Amino acid sequence: MNQRIIQAYRQAPWRVQLQWIGLFLLVLVGGMLIAGVYLYVSGQAAETGARIKNLELEREGLAIRIADMRTQLALLNSSQVMLERAEKLGFRPVERDDLVFLPVAGVSSREVVFLAPPPASIQRENKLLRPAYTQSLWDVLYQSVYQLVSSRGGQHQ
Amino acid sequence: MNGGIWRMRLIGAVFVMLSAAIVYQMIRIQNSEHSRQLVEMFAKTYNQQVRIIIPERGNIYDRWGNLLAGNKEVYEVGIAPPQVVNPETVARDLAAVLEVDYYDTLRKAESYRKEGNERYELIKDFVPADKIRQLEQKVSEYQQAEKPKKGAPPSLVGVYWRPHLIRSYPENELAANVLGFYNYLDRWNGRGMLGLEEQYNNLLAGNKQQVILPMNPTEIQEIPEIPPGASLITSIDRDIQAAMERIIDEAVEANGAESGTLVVMDPKTGEILAMATTPHFNPNEYWRYGEIFPVGSYFNRAISQLYEPGSVFKVLTMAAAIDAGAVQPDTPFVDVGAIEVGGIWIYNWDRGAWGPQDMVGCMQHSLNVCLAWVAQELGPTQFYKYLQDFGIGRYTGIDLAGEQVYPLSLPGDSNWYPVNLGTNSFGQGVATTPIQMITAIAAMANDGKMMAPHVVKAYIQDGVQYTVNPRVIRQVVKPETARTITEMLAVSLENEASNALVEGYRIAGKTGTAEIPGPGGYTNMTNASFVGWGPVDDPRFIVYVWLEKPTSSPWGSVVAAPVFSQAVEELVVLMKIPPDEIRQQMASP
Repeated sequence: MNQRIIQAYRQAPWRVQLQWIGLFLLVLVGGMLIAGVYLYVSGQAAETGARIKNLELEREGLAIRIADMRTQLALLNSSQVMLERAEKLGFRPVERDDLVFLPVAGVSSREVVFLAPPPASIQRENKLLRPAYTQSLWDVLYQSVYQLVSSRGGQHQ
Repeated sequence: MNGGIWRMRLIGAVFVMLSAAIVYQMIRIQNSEHSRQLVEMFAKTYNQQVRIIIPERGNIYDRWGNLLAGNKEVYEVGIAPPQVVNPETVARDLAAVLEVDYYDTLRKAESYRKEGNERYELIKDFVPADKIRQLEQKVSEYQQAEKPKKGAPPSLVGVYWRPHLIRSYPENELAANVLGFYNYLDRWNGRGMLGLEEQYNNLLAGNKQQVILPMNPTEIQEIPEIPPGASLITSIDRDIQAAMERIIDEAVEANGAESGTLVVMDPKTGEILAMATTPHFNPNEYWRYGEIFPVGSYFNRAISQLYEPGSVFKVLTMAAAIDAGAVQPDTPFVDVGAIEVGGIWIYNWDRGAWGPQDMVGCMQHSLNVCLAWVAQELGPTQFYKYLQDFGIGRYTGIDLAGEQVYPLSLPGDSNWYPVNLGTNSFGQGVATTPIQMITAIAAMANDGKMMAPHVVKAYIQDGVQYTVNPRVIRQVVKPETARTITEMLAVSLENEASNALVEGYRIAGKTGTAEIPGPGGYTNMTNASFVGWGPVDDPRFIVYVWLEKPTSSPWGSVVAAPVFSQAVEELVVLMKIPPDEIRQQMASP
């Protein structure tokens, strides 16, 4: 009798095989999905990393170019060049007798150049790379949970 | 049947053994020392890049923001031999454009094919940007050209160029003696030499930094932002500097002098507005330094060359005596043409006797005998105390590298003799630099306050501009003494109708003529000087002129005073100082 009951509830072998195949396929698809996401994220990260490197190189090149342009501009505006240009245009250096001084209210003498702001008005810049580019998923998750908990804690207070 | 099972088991055993051997080998390789070293080497060679980042050297500006020293883009050109497609094209084009040796370049371009050389080969450094534009043009042409049916196509693949900066001085020789220079050809160990470049080298250079960057693009790492070196804003006015250099050049030429120095200072702040000395030097070609400044010559005479200043020194003697109450402007003195000091007779410049004088007359006629008497009236203790207060024998502390000083001999020193009191009173037997003299005498134009001379007015570091405040060295004489001396020297110039006078502006000043000592005593050659300031009622400038060994005339009043006048003629225009009359009208309500 006991033997008969077991036999009555036992699944057919092809069903068991099908379940195993299904389970295997589920694991396989799940694994492939995870691998796909990982691959996509890695690809994105690599592309972004390469782009950042290029941008950094470009920035370096631009900084060099800016310094060069500044010097070229100074060369074009140098004392000697300006004097020659002025003479070509028919000007001559002013002499003391040419000057006429007129008092003009509100006009003060020439101020010394300010090429950068004074110390008091400075605000520090943020870092170039945002944390999102360097944090792992775990870091993001941990931080999000922490922020959530902190904000809830704040609400309670 | 049994044979079949046996064979199957044998094959199974072989596969199991093979698998086990593979697993064993994997474990062995993973854990071996060689493997660890190999991994480290790969990580070092291919996974990371070590870069030394040299920050941009700070700029130097004049007081209005005109660039005096900046940076220029140049390129390093090199070859990666394994990547070279066509060595002949590479060698031919690089030889033509960069003017390098064809065969040497060809050898480097072929070195991978012939010797397996994988190292980067430097072809030329400090290549100007226009040459690189020519190479870029060629690259573009080769990309558009049709490929030949036989042989390698013309190509510059494998040639790399990378920009970097070198120091550049857009004004060329202008203010070079103040700026100094930077030996940019030593790319990794370059440093500022002389002048501001040396004095502020650390500030200008910034901090080099070595960074290790991962080559794996997924390992993103921010290149640390290395701030450029600090920039300097100097007190130099480019236009005044240019004018003063032109004036001193003309004066040296016209008077057949060996050298000339002209310094313009704001007496109220100690700011140097111009510092012109000869000979000139182009810091863009700093390797020619030795040609222009042979051994024993001076890069910046204004701060480095010691000389006996002569009668301009009388300003200090008279100021000390009046301040101490030893004499007054109207104190009478009968000049008999000679005076004995310490057993030695001292004479006037013309060996003449000028009869009854007051102190204004003594200064006007620059009487050595009178000033030696004044120093005696003051006494050595007081006299030398004042000289020390005026900074004689001490560094002024000007922010330029290369300042020299000659110690002042004091009573009690082995090299001091009683006659020194007499000779020192008119600027002989004492050695100073022009910067010492102008700093000391500027106190007369600033109510007795001696200001520290300086060239840097502000500096910019990390994007912030910091102002350098003027510094008072000391109140060396009372304000009324300074004003009295100024008035005395203004009157004396007017009385003698000096060549230094400038129409419309009241000026105070003093000539100086000092004999130059040689191996057998004093020679016929002189140092001719003039120091003057103005406008007298509100001094805006003090000018120091020194011509070394003029041949047209030995006298300061003949050769240096007109140079001063010419300098002031231009200064009042460039500094927009109205004539006294107009200025006083504008000041009155």
